[in-house]
Amino acid sequence: MTSIPLFHVLILSSLLFAIGFVGVVARKNTLFILMSLEVMLNAIGVAFIGAGSVWQQADGQVMFILILTLAAVEAAVGLALLIRMQKKYRSLDIDLLSQMKG
Amino acid sequence: MMMPVADNTPAFLTMAMAGAILPQLIIAFGIALALLLVAWRRSQRTIALFTGVVIVMALLANISLLVTPAIQVTQLLKVDGYSTFAFSLILISALVALPMSHKFLSAQIEVHDEYYLLLLLMVLGAGVLVTSDHYASLFLGFELLSISLVGLVGYQRESQYSVESGFKYLILSASASSFMLLGIAFIYSVSGDMSFSAVISKTIYNQPDLGVFFQLGLLLFVSGVAFKLSVAPFHFWTPDVYQGSPTPVTMLLATISKIAMFVVLLKCFAAQQYLLLENVQQFLLIFAITSMLLGNVMALKQQNLKRLFAYSSIAHMGYLLIVLIVTSEQNLAFTWQSVLFYLAAYTVANLSVFIVIELLQQQLTTQQADITLSDIKGLFWRAPSYALLMILAILSLAGIPLTMGFIGKFYILSQATIAHAWWLIAALIVGSGIGLAYYLPLIFKLFSAESSPDQNVKISVKNIVEKVLVYSLVGVSLVFGIFPEVINQLINT
Repeated sequence: MTSIPLFHVLILSSLLFAIGFVGVVARKNTLFILMSLEVMLNAIGVAFIGAGSVWQQADGQVMFILILTLAAVEAAVGLALLIRMQKKYRSLDIDLLSQMKG
Repeated sequence: MMMPVADNTPAFLTMAMAGAILPQLIIAFGIALALLLVAWRRSQRTIALFTGVVIVMALLANISLLVTPAIQVTQLLKVDGYSTFAFSLILISALVALPMSHKFLSAQIEVHDEYYLLLLLMVLGAGVLVTSDHYASLFLGFELLSISLVGLVGYQRESQYSVESGFKYLILSASASSFMLLGIAFIYSVSGDMSFSAVISKTIYNQPDLGVFFQLGLLLFVSGVAFKLSVAPFHFWTPDVYQGSPTPVTMLLATISKIAMFVVLLKCFAAQQYLLLENVQQFLLIFAITSMLLGNVMALKQQNLKRLFAYSSIAHMGYLLIVLIVTSEQNLAFTWQSVLFYLAAYTVANLSVFIVIELLQQQLTTQQADITLSDIKGLFWRAPSYALLMILAILSLAGIPLTMGFIGKFYILSQATIAHAWWLIAALIVGSGIGLAYYLPLIFKLFSAESSPDQNVKISVKNIVEKVLVYSLVGVSLVFGIFPEVINQLINT
């Protein structure tokens, strides 16, 4: 079995990360922004797993578990805020959240 | 291409190690107990008192650690004099913010236990951050700090801005931590070690393929941290979040999160010798100069006090970055000393300013969300002690002699002069000059005679805790401004 070079893994994770980031920047719906944030986190997971297997260490996988936890926490807090937004504005459009200026 | 570090530290926790992280352990244990306490009895007063006791115990344990030598606590943490001093600053800020939060929360009927839990979690995150010696513990501390801050920022459900500022902080802080994590992943994939003290050979940077990723990783890591420090060009969230969150939370944002992030940045950079890399230096240079100028210029036209101090904090982080750029291997001790002194000055000033803002907000009869410049008009004639505190803080932020801020700026300037960083010095001087243009009018406003008729009521400080807070902060800023050596000796031990 030929092994995949680390360089390719890093390229893949950068691409996934870029997709997630574009989602965060371009999307108008808050729910999709939260989902794009998860895509970004999982892209980082790919990079960590790849690096961990190249170095033959458990560190990469440990970091991935931590990242999974973070993703869950972020989703929990994000969804809580989302519900409050839905109740207050009756919409999930992120552009509504621009009252503060100056 | 890289050597794993010879690891003498045992993987398990010895008694000496447990002693070194005792303050953090007390906070962690306090969080668990607080959860049980909530289940037993839901009372605002009890939980506030309990949180206070936990923080005071941690502070006492921490102060006793100031004199003990540095110790590596497993691979993840390293407790030394600098981190202990920084954690003391963090605990003191939490202790000041606590009665303010209690006052603000008890105005509402609901019992808000969660607020105190989030506060303790945030302090724990900051405690992990300042002692971390490994990217994994940095990540843990960073997330504990930011996620609990998101909860605190959006806490005030009735406020018109809470959802907005909560969401802004959540999305931007989550993206920033993703950037930082991707940076860590790249650094790890090239270097193969996530410990700060790992020796990385210089050849890594020049490898054909992976060297690019290493540099990219560093850049991503720095920008993630720069976001938390609200350094320009990553500062856009700062004024909105400062304005939208409850004032005690703004106080925490301005002090605890900034102290912890800056200390961990310096710790990581000093251990890994990233500062010798030219690319990193250039980026930091751009960050520092833009935030010094932009922060001060944007603050000029602000009417809202919280936004004004948000921009002022951007400028102050720019000043602090100078130290990071000009530091070198030889004068690392001096670097730490100036950074910690500056952070102490910055913390005292910001605590004072936000206490005054919060107390003024409580005095307002109308349900007005923001304190503007017109609200502090003639404050000196109505509440001299508040005005005195505010004046001392503003003078310190502006860097007028005989205040802590002046000594802090003096350290930064002297370091920059040794390193011949003339561009940075020029930006610092111009920035401080512009700064005077909005700091001094603030002081004039405090003394101005005319004030609107409904504000003619004399404000009297009734609450004993508030009295103690206000007068002790006045005392601290006076004493340490005149005798800065006291703090230096604390840092040096």
